[in-house]
Amino acid sequence: MTDEPRPRPIAGGAPAGGAVPEPTFADVNRDVLATLGPPGNLYFAWMCVVGLILACGILAWTYQIYFGMGAAGKRTPQMWAMYITTFVFWIGIGHAGTLISAVLYLFRARWRTSIYRAAEAMTIFAVLTAGLFPLIHAGRMWFAYFLLPYPNQRYLWPNFKSPLVWDVFAISTYLSISTVFFIVGLVPDVAALRDASTGWRRRVFAMLSLGWEGSDRQWRHYRRAYGLFAALATPLVLSVHSVVSWDFAMALVPGWHSTLFAPFFVDGAIFSGFAMVLVLVLPMRHFFGLHAYIRDRHLDAMAKLILVTGLVLTYFYACEAFTSWYSGDHFEKASLFWRLTGSYWWALGTMYFCNCVSPLILFWKPARTSPVILYVVSILVLIGMWFERFNIIVPSLAHDFYPATWGIYVPTITDSTIIIGSFAWFFLLFLGFIKLMPSLSIVEVKETLSAPVKDLRHAGHH
Amino acid sequence: MNRRDFFKIVATTGATAAAGGCQQATEQILPLVVPNEQLVPGVASWFATVCRECPAGCGVLARNRDGRVVKLEGNPDHPVNGGSLCARGQAALQGLYHPDRFVGPQRREGDAFTPLGWEDALKLVSDRLAAVRSKPRTLAVVSQLETGSLGALLDRWLQALGGRPRLTLEPFGYEAIRAANRATFGRDAVPYHAFEDAEVILSFGADFLETWISNGQAARGFARAHTFRDGKAGTFIHVEPRQSLTASNADEWVRNAPGTETAVALAVLKLMLEGGGTGDKRYADAVAAIEPRKVAEDSGVPLETLQRIARAFGSARPGLAVGGGVAVTGSHATSLQIAVNLLNVAAGNVGKTVRFGPDHAYGRVTPYAEVAKLVQAMAAGEIEVLVLGPGVNPAFTLPGGLKAGEAIAKVPFVVSFANLPDETTALAHLVLPDTHWLESWGDYSPHEGVLGLMQPTMKPVRDARPLGDVLLAAGRAALGTEEGKGPLPWSTFEQYLRSVWEPLVKGQWEAALQQGGLWRDAGAAAVTPKIERVDAAAAKLEGAGDGLALLPYPSLRFYDGRSATRAWLQEVPDPVTQVAWDAWVELNTETAARLGIQRGDVVRVTSPHGAIELPAYPSASIHPAAVAIPIGHHYAPYHVRLKYVPGSGTANPMALLPAAADATSGAPAFLSVKVTLARTGARRPLAVLQATHDQDHREIAQHVELARAREEALRGAAREDARPSMYSEQHYKTYRWGMTVDVDACIGCQACAVACQAENNVPVVGKAEAAYGRQVHWLRVERWADGDPGQPHNTFLPMFCQHCEVAPCEPVCPVFAAYRTEEGLNGQVYNRCVGTRYCGNNCPYHVRRFNWWNYEIPAPLDVQLNPDVTVRQLGVMEKCTMCIQRIVAGKDHARDEKRAVRDGDILTACQQTCPTKAITFGNLKDEGSAVSKQRHSPRAYHVLDELGTRPGVTYLRKVVRAAPASRPGKGHA
Repeated sequence: MTDEPRPRPIAGGAPAGGAVPEPTFADVNRDVLATLGPPGNLYFAWMCVVGLILACGILAWTYQIYFGMGAAGKRTPQMWAMYITTFVFWIGIGHAGTLISAVLYLFRARWRTSIYRAAEAMTIFAVLTAGLFPLIHAGRMWFAYFLLPYPNQRYLWPNFKSPLVWDVFAISTYLSISTVFFIVGLVPDVAALRDASTGWRRRVFAMLSLGWEGSDRQWRHYRRAYGLFAALATPLVLSVHSVVSWDFAMALVPGWHSTLFAPFFVDGAIFSGFAMVLVLVLPMRHFFGLHAYIRDRHLDAMAKLILVTGLVLTYFYACEAFTSWYSGDHFEKASLFWRLTGSYWWALGTMYFCNCVSPLILFWKPARTSPVILYVVSILVLIGMWFERFNIIVPSLAHDFYPATWGIYVPTITDSTIIIGSFAWFFLLFLGFIKLMPSLSIVEVKETLSAPVKDLRHAGHH
Repeated sequence: MNRRDFFKIVATTGATAAAGGCQQATEQILPLVVPNEQLVPGVASWFATVCRECPAGCGVLARNRDGRVVKLEGNPDHPVNGGSLCARGQAALQGLYHPDRFVGPQRREGDAFTPLGWEDALKLVSDRLAAVRSKPRTLAVVSQLETGSLGALLDRWLQALGGRPRLTLEPFGYEAIRAANRATFGRDAVPYHAFEDAEVILSFGADFLETWISNGQAARGFARAHTFRDGKAGTFIHVEPRQSLTASNADEWVRNAPGTETAVALAVLKLMLEGGGTGDKRYADAVAAIEPRKVAEDSGVPLETLQRIARAFGSARPGLAVGGGVAVTGSHATSLQIAVNLLNVAAGNVGKTVRFGPDHAYGRVTPYAEVAKLVQAMAAGEIEVLVLGPGVNPAFTLPGGLKAGEAIAKVPFVVSFANLPDETTALAHLVLPDTHWLESWGDYSPHEGVLGLMQPTMKPVRDARPLGDVLLAAGRAALGTEEGKGPLPWSTFEQYLRSVWEPLVKGQWEAALQQGGLWRDAGAAAVTPKIERVDAAAAKLEGAGDGLALLPYPSLRFYDGRSATRAWLQEVPDPVTQVAWDAWVELNTETAARLGIQRGDVVRVTSPHGAIELPAYPSASIHPAAVAIPIGHHYAPYHVRLKYVPGSGTANPMALLPAAADATSGAPAFLSVKVTLARTGARRPLAVLQATHDQDHREIAQHVELARAREEALRGAAREDARPSMYSEQHYKTYRWGMTVDVDACIGCQACAVACQAENNVPVVGKAEAAYGRQVHWLRVERWADGDPGQPHNTFLPMFCQHCEVAPCEPVCPVFAAYRTEEGLNGQVYNRCVGTRYCGNNCPYHVRRFNWWNYEIPAPLDVQLNPDVTVRQLGVMEKCTMCIQRIVAGKDHARDEKRAVRDGDILTACQQTCPTKAITFGNLKDEGSAVSKQRHSPRAYHVLDELGTRPGVTYLRKVVRAAPASRPGKGHA
């Protein structure tokens, strides 16, 4: 470590009007590596807050394991409630990452380069968070391994008809593919880190960089592998959330039993995922001064995607209501009517406002590049998408086939704390990530820059 | 060998075993270290005895496994209940194993009890008894209705010690019936009402399906008269201001103004006479002063309704009129009963459906007026020693105006033989816990011709001694006589009992024990009616002019309160309101709106004699001029451990009633005060276990009109469950178990729900959890109401796992915990269950129950747990298994006899206890089985059939009498 002041990023913080100059290759290395510098007090303050909340969540979970699921507010008829809501929410969040890193890669959408690393990390952390919920949710979580098809002398096997078993496979596949894809993409960047660091860090990065030297052969292999994983991950964008949607669509419950669910869930997932990317990237850009890399046109592109997926989602809402009504099915109609007018009308109203109305502001061009507006819209979208899953699960169950058992779910301190704790867990992982790994892809950012021209910058200095 | 023989044989062996070892008061819950050779571990013995939870005296078989009684069933041979048992009888086990039971004698010092030894306690009693011998009439004994040897022994004991005549305290003594029968027939008796033989039953407030006289017997008779069978069904018309459970079962419930029952009965009589009938002029004279039009105005019963009732009742051959449930017993009670007598006489029912001989034991209850006298004597300090038998709780069950508690507090020495703490033991100086009736010798005769014999079915759970033994010992000590000499020579009560029974059984003692007693034909008594004018005045109500008439009614679940300590009964909801745990005040929705009262608002109910605070339950059906409060709600310390915290003060409406007895009958006047309601501002939300009674056109409880049902029955139009499927049919080898529930027979009495809880180790979860949809009941009885909410048509529907052939719960389970058995059951493997609860969401009937917590079963209640049924762990799903343990036992039994299972080999717990035989279980593969025949009945349907779940449980539609126009809601095409 040197006592020299940290080199300033080329943009030097927020753009003071006017255009941010294009960085050079050297700027990229320097600026990205600068994000890994020793954290300041603000960072530690955030870590403390997040860590405390996580500790509360862990305590609440321990309480629930010890005393029973009764600690969560579930009941007949809502055998599922906020845990599954949040589970689906986090799975959905993950989708934007894969979409950005794999699908946009295959489509050669070059604007993805500056955000895909953060988005990919978000995917993995979101899946890691989501993966907690089946455990949190199970009445006897210590037997959750029964869901795995492991050989045993009792010849017990999971039930492959159950969408929950499909979930196990969908999510584990998703997590493994995403992780491998993430690690492969990191290799050249880690090598750059290795070259820039000393001591034990160097040794760790050396291991992770898998002996990367930047030779042509390595680049060729790298490209092939990356393309292959992108191709492998692409169907997962569609399949994982479709499978998750079948947890509901395969059940009988009015409000769940619908063929609409797979595309509806995938679209919602991308919608919420982009919102989460913005929620993470905007502060990153602000605090690390990465305006030169995460440029307004990137924000604009993401805002457009949010707008489009939001409009598609609105269409799905209309479809859902229409099919319920048009089916003529008494149970479906009663369920829909009750969701609109019953005890949870406010949740449905929140969802419609956040998901259908709030993104409309993005039709206005300046809003698409205004960090404040984008941030507010993204938060609203996240709230709306959480409520979307809540509205599918809780009110549908509250008013299903059998009137004698209709009832209202009321959250408890325990389950609320666990839900909030899951957000803390996610942010803890993400905060850790941005200080340990390059949150911008050095390699890919460089690819989008014009090739270095000798003395260009010197000329500029004169 | 059929099931009955089986019971008999095991009862013999068991009885001998019990007779050998029940004298010593060694208190061990697992009693035998060296097993008795007649006790085979793992094989149950059955002991016949008599249920003493109320004066109905039903025969009981107690199932003893390894020295512990684990289940009660009705004695199939007993004439009163014929195998069924009501909810209270089923829950008697929780009295036996109650955690709050006294352990040995207790002396009260201040507010707390300190234990003392039996010898010291006996000495205390005998010293006191010896001291009061010199002061005649200062010793009083109050017991529950004891018609057998214990009563005789008590009388003899009192005579020997110079006490006052024994008082039999039964809060619901039906004295008005006796008074009216004295007036009309010259016979001081409660006759036998043959519901089973009536074509038309006309009831004026008699809640015979709840507590009235002998509810189990009445329900059996009612089912035989009223349930659709062979194209016929009787009619039941009920007149009452409140929709009680009995009213809910009526084909026509007539809501009258409180206290106008006599006038309505007389108007019906007059209209009946006008429409033909006897030419006897005496009847016309008796009702000469009645103007039906005026009666219609006063009572709020339309004239057309009165005419319709008169026509229906007059044309019945025979009919049966009954009257006088507790809630309508006021100053008009005797005149109402006389009017009812006249109706029965005029319609020619006496001797047919109203039979004197056999007379009911209620005829031997001490009139309330005598009880009131004793209380006054106590208050005046005339009583030195008060002995209270088990089952009596005067401080709680007597009208508040009598101030019985204060009077008892003035008695220098109060000995209670209660085995559970209650309001009266809190006033006792000494508690000598009696053995529970399941641990005791005894006999009880509920009506003439039925001599029930009781035997210990297990050793005492707690340190307790039989009342008879203690009194004999204390009496001898007080008298200074020795065993074998003097007026009390018997060493034990059992010895006395045997000496009384010896002439009856003539050496056949064990045969009588096996059978549960002796039954003989009681001689029918001929009666000559005296026909006189009846005073048609309405009941006189004391209190503010704008007040609301108070209808206090005995709780179906708690009787007068003596069953309220049973947590099973607290948690099983009242079938009409579906309220569990709490007491409530039911008021009309109009009144509630006027006073700004919402459900769960704590309301102060004030009468001229007291005030109580209860949560409100507004209902559209109760008469706007009345409020109703169930009698008998009180709680045990054990309930507080279940996180039930009762409100302050008593919940018993008896506290609001005056001391004065009704002048004509001498009965307490239950319908005698007007009360005012005031919001207290507090809230105590009620645990209402059914979210709504409106089935929202979902055809869950279906009905068919009588004419159509008759036509279909004649045509034999079988309905096949022919829903096409893409999948191949499931094949069953020998058995496919199935059930049918005849909704027409179900009266909603909750006996099945409690029987299921007892059989299947279903935990009690407490008020808050139950209110939050977390009750674990495998079987719930729902009330569905169609039509005008003010006068709904009710259908009671027992709902439990439907054992669907295409079960929505099965494919969603990730670990095969829910699976389909080869015999058509929907199995649940607790050990495999991970608790994802997906099955619970996907079950359209929501009959799957989750173990949200580890439910505490405090000792010694855990001893009651059925050893054949797993106790479920935290975090697993459970539900009705169709009593799989009984199926296994039945199959084993059949295999031993090298045959297939037949009807009657296996009875599920719910089916076994059902007084109306609404539930049938059997093999659907066997076309000849009762369940198969019912499944192919034209009335058969499946709940939520359109979902294609193909349930193994079939319901038979309720048969309704009303014309379709007056009955909105959905009938099935």
